Amino acid sequence: MSFSALSAAWLFTLLIPLVVFYFLKLKRPRHTIPSLVLWRQVLADQRVNAPFQKFKRNLLLLLQILLLTLLVLAAMQPFLRREASRAQRLPVLIDISASMAALDAPGGTSRLDAAKKRVRELIDTLPPDQDLALIAFGQSARRLTGFTNNRRELRLALDSLAVEDVTGDLDEALRMAQALTRTAAFDKVLLLSDGNFPARTNFELPFKIDFQRLADAGPNYGITAFNARRAPGGKWDVFVQLAASTEAETASGTVELEQDGTVVGTESVTIPKGATPRLVFQVASDQPAQLRARLTTTGFDSLAADNTASLDLPAARPLAVFCPPKLTAYRHALASLDALTLFPAETLPPPAAFDLVITDDPDDLAYPARTRCLIGLVPEELKALVSVKSENTTAIDWRRESPLLQHVQLGDVVFMDQPVSAAAAKDDAFANLGFEILAQGPRGPLIVERTDGDALLIALLFHTDRSTLPYRVGFPIFVSNVVQAALKQSGLAEAAAARTGVLPPLTLAPNRAVHITGPDRFARDERTDDRGQLTGIPAPRAGDYTITDGTTPPRHLGASLLSPAETSLAAVTQIEFADQLTVAATTTVPKADRSLWWLLACAGFVVLLVEWWWFQRRPGVA
Amino acid sequence: MTSAPQLTSLLTNRDLDRLARLRINAARRFTNRSRGEHLAAKGGTSTEFCDFRDYSPGDDVRFVDWNIFARIERAYVKQFHQEEEMHVAVLVDASNSMLFEGKFELARRLAAALGVLGLRAQEKVSAGALGGAAQRLRPCTGRMSMGKLFGFLESLAPGGETPIEQGIEMFLRQHRGRGVAVVLSDFLSAGDLRRAFNQLHSAGLEVFAVQILAPSELAPELAGDLRFVDCETSGHLDISSAGDLLGLYHEYRLAHEAQLSGLCQQRSGKFLSVSAAEPIEQVVFGTMRKKGWIV
Repeated sequence: MSFSALSAAWLFTLLIPLVVFYFLKLKRPRHTIPSLVLWRQVLADQRVNAPFQKFKRNLLLLLQILLLTLLVLAAMQPFLRREASRAQRLPVLIDISASMAALDAPGGTSRLDAAKKRVRELIDTLPPDQDLALIAFGQSARRLTGFTNNRRELRLALDSLAVEDVTGDLDEALRMAQALTRTAAFDKVLLLSDGNFPARTNFELPFKIDFQRLADAGPNYGITAFNARRAPGGKWDVFVQLAASTEAETASGTVELEQDGTVVGTESVTIPKGATPRLVFQVASDQPAQLRARLTTTGFDSLAADNTASLDLPAARPLAVFCPPKLTAYRHALASLDALTLFPAETLPPPAAFDLVITDDPDDLAYPARTRCLIGLVPEELKALVSVKSENTTAIDWRRESPLLQHVQLGDVVFMDQPVSAAAAKDDAFANLGFEILAQGPRGPLIVERTDGDALLIALLFHTDRSTLPYRVGFPIFVSNVVQAALKQSGLAEAAAARTGVLPPLTLAPNRAVHITGPDRFARDERTDDRGQLTGIPAPRAGDYTITDGTTPPRHLGASLLSPAETSLAAVTQIEFADQLTVAATTTVPKADRSLWWLLACAGFVVLLVEWWWFQRRPGVA
Repeated sequence: MTSAPQLTSLLTNRDLDRLARLRINAARRFTNRSRGEHLAAKGGTSTEFCDFRDYSPGDDVRFVDWNIFARIERAYVKQFHQEEEMHVAVLVDASNSMLFEGKFELARRLAAALGVLGLRAQEKVSAGALGGAAQRLRPCTGRMSMGKLFGFLESLAPGGETPIEQGIEMFLRQHRGRGVAVVLSDFLSAGDLRRAFNQLHSAGLEVFAVQILAPSELAPELAGDLRFVDCETSGHLDISSAGDLLGLYHEYRLAHEAQLSGLCQQRSGKFLSVSAAEPIEQVVFGTMRKKGWIV
């Protein structure tokens, strides 16, 4: 047993005046009696003066001493130490990812509520010499309090915690805890989570970690994918993928699809254990529409956030492609493709913006477009890293799994332009600029790609007219792949439900202040960059987000899909860190230091009652 | 028909009538030489036969039982009880300690009752107050002295701090005559009662000690921490948790009674402890008769 407020021991000095005042009690009632003879004999009796009898005679005093002692001991705040070592400063990492909203039973408690309960017990039994710091983490970590012993502040911070419909990122939390070490030293971190995060992390632990895994939740069934692909005839094929948690048994339910609030399809579904059934709906829509899929199961579903997903379908229109007439091979290949309008066209005026610009002229880059494909041009950012020489070369490797190079064979293509990487260019120099090398020549990259927000740049560092590529069967396939990429980039070919966490990138007017509102009173002010890009907007809760810039009509975006990992409710039993350190989870609740002051206070109250009874009791003949 | 006026406030006329048929039963025969109605153990000249004894030359032949001489031809002399006068000294403790809860009142009434018994038996009765200023009723005898006795007892002024043993000693300095000393007191004295009783015994007085205790002394109801103040000496005594000591108090009270009883019995005396709350009729006609104090 230890004492939190040992300094209160000085209160024991109050025993001295207590004893003194007891024996000098001035208010002792006077009782006149005929003679003191018998009473003097009584007081002189050996039995009266025996230690026990003395104790009995002064029982009132002893009760008062006992009462004072108990009160002083309570003031010293004793506690029963349950752990061998107790940290003076303890950061508490609380998982608030989507899976923490899962209930253990119908109408039961969520994982976050269970975590809150444990932390609240920790706060309630917090000794004065221990400080806690609360850190909540979902996709990002957030420090709720610094190291403090203020229980009110801790409780307020704890009560403000709510589940975010995002994936839990343990590394973020650990980095935040690591940042705390700069303000105060500590050697241990308490992690409260359901264990729904990767079992391995590259984080190097500078402190010990006490991983307390919360009890498993009930079965969960949810929507893990919701996307649509354009189909002929102005229709969309809509795909809904379902999944169940790892421990869930086979369940049945219904998936309902709404289009702009009208039910357009309902299907009964059975979700077998361990399977991920996929449903296909077909809806007709030429205009922008919002689809909403809703899963209803017959049994208990522990997590509600993944039962609904929404999807915004764009308006159907042909892809606007600009390709200068001198790129005959490209125009020829493009002409054979459906659902696109090729510019410049004799009969059609050029649109305000193109979906795809394929050009070998740097001046054409001034056209606004989401997807650009440069032919024989080196992007400005890469001119310091690569130069093109007139030499014959071939491709030594290319990324066959890339959508742009699918079914494109570059092995027998001869290039008469030889991109040469600068001597100072290191391997990761292209990656640092955001470029991904899709095809590699002997001395430098042949094809690179960069995605920046919703803009896609494809650069062929060689000119196709000085290669044998147009004569290969892979050329029209490559052009088709570029068109597909442009369709995807423009959202014309397919649409997918946005996942929670971060809103998809948006292109608005440049340098414009925008206001974003969302579910649960989410509000945020941002500003677009020079290119009108708005990226990295957090979407912590599933629902519809509205972006307004004050001039154009508001844009609506839905972020509704949880990570499949959250739906699976999978829980790791141990975490492997970078330094080969493995931390096992404990599911049993560790016994917190037990405060004893209230026991002593209760005992003091009982002693007070006994003293009152002893003082007031009717005298009886022994 | 109007009832006769009360002779005294101490006793009712009915009690006085009942007392007329009773006498003090002294166990010893330390009596005065002067004749009285009290029968002495030694042979006397009364008409009440006592015993026979062998005739000795010189005996008065008038007391020879000739009937026996006629039958067995041996002379026996008849003996008779001698009626002698006994001195009844009634000592009433009038100290402050007797002022509690009717102790002094009962003592005066018992003194009156026992004095009446002596006067009606033609004994010599004297009375004295112990504990305070010297107050004394000189020895008197005969029924005509009852008024004097009642007047003395009624006029007794209570209060005083003199210990009982000193009071007895002062009384004996002026006392003459043997008989019975009725001491009415609470006997709660720190002094040596043994010496006082020895003095009474040496003076030829059989000690009839009546201890009168107040109900609060017999069954005190006390609790907590108290400061006891002696009403006589004003001394004080601090008691803690008095309720716990009551058992021990009763032990000492009973032991004190036993000691007083022993002191009396060792001197052929009698001892009786009564409560001040007891009616005098119950004490005199009940307890004292049962215990053979009066017959």
